[in-house]
Formats: sequence, C-alpha cells, structure tokens
Amino acid sequence: MKNWHWIILGILFLVTLVFEFTFLADYDSHWWNSIPAFYAIFGFVSCIVIIYFAKFIAKNIVNRDINYYD
Amino acid sequence: MIELLTIPGVILIIGAVLLALLPEKFRSSAFLLFPIAALAFVITRPDGYSVTASLGNFELIVMEVDALSRVFGIIFAITAFVAGTYAWHIKDLGQQVNALVYAGSALGVTFAGDLLTLIIFWELMAVSSTWLIWANRNEASDKAGMRYLIYHVLGGGLLLGGILWHYMDTGSLLVESLAQEYTIGNVMMLIGVSINAAVIPLHTWLADAYPKATVTGAVFMSAFTTKSAVYVLIRVFPGWELLIWFGAAMAIYGVVYAVICKDIREILAYHIISQVGFMVCGIGIGTDLALNGATAHAYSHILYKSLLFMSTGAVLYATGTSKLVHLGGLAKKMPYVLGLYLVGGFSISGLPLFNGYISKSMTISAAGYAHNEAAMLMLLFASVGTFLSVGLKLPYYTWFGKEDNDIEVKPLPKNMYIGMGMAAFACIFYGLYPQALYMYLPFDADYNPFTIYHFVEVTQISLMTFAGFWLLRKKLAGELIIALDVDWFYRKATPAARRVFVHGVDNFYDRVEEKIWDIAGFLTKKFKNPMLWLNPFTDRKNVASRYSPSMEVIMSFILFTILVFSLVYLT
Repeated sequence: MKNWHWIILGILFLVTLVFEFTFLADYDSHWWNSIPAFYAIFGFVSCIVIIYFAKFIAKNIVNRDINYYD
Repeated sequence: MIELLTIPGVILIIGAVLLALLPEKFRSSAFLLFPIAALAFVITRPDGYSVTASLGNFELIVMEVDALSRVFGIIFAITAFVAGTYAWHIKDLGQQVNALVYAGSALGVTFAGDLLTLIIFWELMAVSSTWLIWANRNEASDKAGMRYLIYHVLGGGLLLGGILWHYMDTGSLLVESLAQEYTIGNVMMLIGVSINAAVIPLHTWLADAYPKATVTGAVFMSAFTTKSAVYVLIRVFPGWELLIWFGAAMAIYGVVYAVICKDIREILAYHIISQVGFMVCGIGIGTDLALNGATAHAYSHILYKSLLFMSTGAVLYATGTSKLVHLGGLAKKMPYVLGLYLVGGFSISGLPLFNGYISKSMTISAAGYAHNEAAMLMLLFASVGTFLSVGLKLPYYTWFGKEDNDIEVKPLPKNMYIGMGMAAFACIFYGLYPQALYMYLPFDADYNPFTIYHFVEVTQISLMTFAGFWLLRKKLAGELIIALDVDWFYRKATPAARRVFVHGVDNFYDRVEEKIWDIAGFLTKKFKNPMLWLNPFTDRKNVASRYSPSMEVIMSFILFTILVFSLVYLT
C-alpha cells in the first residue's frame, strides 16, 4: 500500500462522514443511528473480533495436521 | 406428450443423451446450445403456463411457470451456459453429460408443480453432481464423493418421507407454501431441504466435497444444489421463523470458517454457506421485501460465486495448487485472472456498483424494516467477514504477499477467460443497472439500493474492515492445516460404524447361513429314509424294492389320491 492509496481511502471516509452528518435524515429507524460513525466503528470492531475469534478457535479446537483423516 | 419435451429441465437432460452420441470435437459446442434453448423456453412461457402428465392415479404438474420459478429458471440456464463456456476445453464425456443432467435437474426442480416431480429431479441432481466430484479420479475425491452421495441420499430420503407423510395428512402433492406447523411431515421435508441448503449443522457435505470437485465441476456445483434448495425454501417455507436464526447463524459460521481455512476453494465453499445464510434468514423473515431479497441474492450470488470459483479454478489449473501457503505473488503472472477475481470479490462483499450490493442490502434492509435488529446486525457482522476473507485475505495471499514465488504458471485456455468475462460482465451490469434484475422479482416490493444511507453504511464498514485487515494481515497467512468441522463426528466414527453396520451384519449373516446349512444337512439325512425313525420297533432297513405287492398298491393309491386332490383343489 502506497501513501496515495491511504490518502484516497481517507478522503472516501471523510466523504461518508460528511454525508452522514449532513444528508442523513433516517435517525429513528434503529437505535444505533444516533451513534456517530456507528458503521465505521462496527466494521472495525467486527473485523478485529472475527480475526481474533477465528484465530482462537483455530488454535484451540479445529486446526489439525493436514493428514489427520488419512 | 410433445409438450413434455419443451420443459427446460427435460431439454437439458435430452441434450445430455444426445451429447453422448456426438463426436468429440462437436460436443463442447453442442453443450452450449441446450442451455440457450432452455433459456428461450423459460423466458417465453407466460405466467400460469403448466404442463401436466399422469402417472398411475396421480395427475402430475411437471412444469408450472410463475414469476418466482421464472427468475430462478433464467439464472440456472444462464449459469449452465457460462459454466459450459468455461468448461469448453474439457474432453471428458462423463463430466459433460453429468453437468448437463445436473443443470437440467436443477431446472426441473425449479419448475416442478408437484412434489413427486420435484423429488425425482432432486435425486437426479444428487446423483449427477456426485460424478463431478468423482471425475477428479483421486483417492480424496473418491471418498469425499461417497460421503457427499450418502449425505444427499439421506436428505432425499427424508424429503421423500416428508412428502409422503404430508400427502397422507393433507392429500395434496402441490408445491405450495405451508403454514408454520411443525408436524412430522413438514419437519422431515424441512430437514431434507435444509440438507441441500447447507443449513448448519447439516452443511459439512458442502465444505467437504466442493474443494475436491474438478475445476469446472465446482463451478456448476456452486450454482445449483444450494440455490435450488433456497428456491424450494422460498416456495414452501416462507416466513418460518426458525429460519431467521439458522440463517443468521449460518452467515456468521461460514465466514469464521472462511477466515480459518487456508485452501482457496475451501474458503469459497464455506462462503457459500455464509451467503446462503443471508437468503435463509430473508426467507425466515418472510416479508415481500425479504423474499425478494432472498431471490435477488440467490440470483446475484450464483453469478459472482461462479465467477469466484472460475477464477480460483483458473489458479488451480495454472499452478496445480489451491493452498494459500504455496501461492502468492501471482499478480504479475496472472493479472487478468486477478482483475476478474476482484470483480467477484467486490460483488460478494457488497461494494457499491457491483451486483452483491443491490441484493445483499435488500436482505439486510428487509431485516431492518421488519425491526429484527439482532438479525440485521448479525448479517452486517457476517458481511464484514465476507469482505475480510474473500475480498481481502484470499486475493492478498494468492496474488500479492510474497514477491519471490517461483511457482510455474501454465497458460489458460481462451474459453476460461470468456466464461469468467461473461460472469464478470453480468456482475457489473446488474450492479449498475439493478432494474434489469428487479423487474423479474416475484413479489411486490419497491426497493432502491442507491441511497445515501446504504452508501454510508457499506463504505464505512468496508473501509474499516480494510484497515483492520491491514493491521492484522500477518495473522491470516497460509499454513498447511485442515480445519475440523462437525463432519468429524461421522468421519471419525467411520471405523466404529463399519464394525457395527458392515462387519456386524456380515457376521450375523455368516452365522445364520452356517446354521441353515447345518439344519438342511440334518433334515436331508433324516428324511432320506423316514421309515427308520417312523417305525422304531424294527431294526430292519425298509427298502422300497422289498415292499410286499399289497403295500405297493396302497402306496400308489395314496399317491394317486394326492395327485387328484391337488388337481381338483389347487388349480
């Protein structure tokens, strides 16, 4: 990842924040809509949770040697 | 009678028979004609068109067209064509014939108007798809194919049992939506269909068999079995609340395993479970929007999932391996495949302007509109995992990652690129112009995916998933492992089961056989001359030649009487 890639992603993120705070009228339908940048937080946290959770069960429960069933 | 030949499923099955009679060089091209013919029939039949036939006392509705079956029929026929193009270079008659029968029986299930027709095509689908695993002709695929077949025979048996039970209860064989009542017949049917839909914990056949199917076979398999089951669920079990939670759990279960697995086709196989989870959840919600969402998602899913299986198949074909640990750094060697893969990867992740976006957001919004917020968050959580594993991890460790990989890359046949190109085009086309799909959706529900809310939702989630991936990408590197799943229970139980059900039964029959021989020997010995023990007061052996004449007369008379008696009374 070069620097300009990160800059583009940063700009895109800013655009979504601007949209969220200026255009979005739909604040009632779900409880989480009142949390600013909820989906960004949700995405990041979920991603970390999935990686660590998968790593955990892989290490402790499901991973076996490739010839396990033979 | 002639109408029976115009049923789309039958067209393909007749095609399979004709294919076997053609010389090899025309076969692959002829393969493509039948899906086109089927597609033409699917599109031109009006709503309510039906074909009936009678079997014994039953009046069968072998084909019935409405909006729901039409949209599934269209995508099945299109996929058969696209996958056929991708497999154009294959010269293996067995695979070609079975692929066509498989596609035909999926179409047959789609248009079946009664449950008997449905079960016939259902079983045909199981048998023909098994061939696509066995066609790999190695030990792993032989065994996996057998497990796959046993699992589906079990599922088909449950479905048939359920159908018969349902028929005894209600006297109806129509394929129609059932009220949510957990009667024995309904539950058996639900479990039978759930096996094909890979509902957890009945999903292990999928992750077990698909990675071991042939490169081209997996493309067909990714499209038909689970999606025809989704069709049956939409048709027969809409709004069954249990399905919401099973679906949401499937969606998460699939992505967690996709993060764990280190084989590119296994990642995609687990991802089918996750994606079908979205559909199953939508079916459970059961509103018009949710059912439309499940239908649209099945349609989109077939397109991008076959694209993903085609491009990972291309990697396997070119490099001979599908393990992430051996792959990496292919970006310069296979740039086009990377580009085509990313179209599929972005579609499945539901990024805007790709076709996953227009259908996945519909299912998730339907959960939101139904105020099922737990289900909605579970689905959003699953889509984070989707982007993480299929959109980021898989391409990163296949095409980037290590730069110095000196793995040899075989050139791909042109037709593989054409097949992938067609699917990629469809993914982008429907992403830009969703109306082309929405107009075929069966239920009446307006939906616009291109709202600022959805854009914000999807973009924020994807950007932050990317950030999380980039931070922790080293944790996802490939290693040579297998991940256990609940198939452990039956795979590890095989020796014990064999002892009980094979050797046990064998031994029992051996013993019985021995005893019967003993008894037969004993009886023949005794009855050779019954006078020996019927007349214990003499030690003289009674031999017929020494009978007195009067005794002979009496004996003949008795015999004569028996003969007359049997003539008169027994004839």
